[in-house]
Amino acid sequence: MRIVEIAVIILIVLAFGLLITVAFSYIAPGTRIRPLGEFYLYATYNPYDPIVRLFTVMSPEGVTAIVWDFRGLDTLFETSVFYLAIIGALALTRGLMPAPRSEEGQGLSVIVKSVTKITAPMILAVGASVGLHGHLTPGGGFQGGSVIAVIPMLMIVIFSVLFLAKRMNVTGFLILRSIGLAIIGFTGVALFIAGLVLGVPAWVFQNMPKPGAPLSMPVEVHGALISGTLWFFNLAEMVAVASGFSIAFLILLLVKEVEFRGKS
Amino acid sequence: MEPTEFLNLYLLSVTIASLLANVAISLYGVFYKPHYTKKIIAVSILSDSANTIAIFIGFRRWLSPSQPPSVAIATNLSREGIEKFANVGVDPLPQALVLTAIVIGLAVTLFLIYLGYMLYCHYKTLDMREIRRLKG
Repeated sequence: MRIVEIAVIILIVLAFGLLITVAFSYIAPGTRIRPLGEFYLYATYNPYDPIVRLFTVMSPEGVTAIVWDFRGLDTLFETSVFYLAIIGALALTRGLMPAPRSEEGQGLSVIVKSVTKITAPMILAVGASVGLHGHLTPGGGFQGGSVIAVIPMLMIVIFSVLFLAKRMNVTGFLILRSIGLAIIGFTGVALFIAGLVLGVPAWVFQNMPKPGAPLSMPVEVHGALISGTLWFFNLAEMVAVASGFSIAFLILLLVKEVEFRGKS
Repeated sequence: MEPTEFLNLYLLSVTIASLLANVAISLYGVFYKPHYTKKIIAVSILSDSANTIAIFIGFRRWLSPSQPPSVAIATNLSREGIEKFANVGVDPLPQALVLTAIVIGLAVTLFLIYLGYMLYCHYKTLDMREIRRLKG
């Protein structure tokens, strides 16, 4: 039996090796990248070129520009996939009730708790910095939200899951998450609605002015570059991801504390 | 072939070979490990290896021994700076696709974990052989 398993591993390696050998000219990095990638690099911040400026995002960060503008609808549906996963988790754990227990005497020592109280705002600041500078530096809404989601995890480990559940329950996080998603949806159609009101053609998910659709989101506010919709998307995605992760941790660790209501 | 050229190609081959070994080991874990949690861990290793391979596809070779490829973030926003940036930056498209893949992989993992929890509630075990024996 062991021979079969080893043979399977060797066969997989050989098959993938064959695939990579056939496609090696695509996989080996050359001094030039693909034309599409080069266009994205050239167009991500380009108010100079007379043709490319019709497609620019005005964001120096190429990856965020692709994620939220060039392929913005893709990311919108990706966010809804994550939302549906949380909804699925809530549906699967429906009918589980927390056992009535006191949080007294749970968690780690006073030293650890005090240090956590000091570091939690710092983590929040780092996460907000990563998320809100997503159009300038590496990072973005998802990464910033993941950093912020460390705080509820720390609170669960160091205080107790009941400590967190008493202050911010699943419904609260769900409301926060829905607010984030609502902002994402509203930012997506903001220029479209403005176009309807002003009687000017405009697109859904439009960011910068396009041929025939002259409206645009603000590129900068008081000299600070915000790249139009990108900053709003990053802010909303940060809130949504942080609360989504918190819901996941909270349910996952609350079920340890629950008993079944009725028959299991 | 020059020694540095050979060394570069050799190191690239080592990286790709180890990623392939990673893929093979994770597929082995998905197929043959009987425990549900280990299957989930294997799936996440598989998706991370695939993402790393995708990042490698978008990489750019060093233009000269003194000029490394730039990350996909423009720092000099003048006209010349942007034109130079388009010639030295790495491909941002695979990175954006990998970001999407990571989020979706996370959602799938989350769903699998809750599914495993319900599996445990019903069968009182996560061993796949036991579950097959209990209910077809």
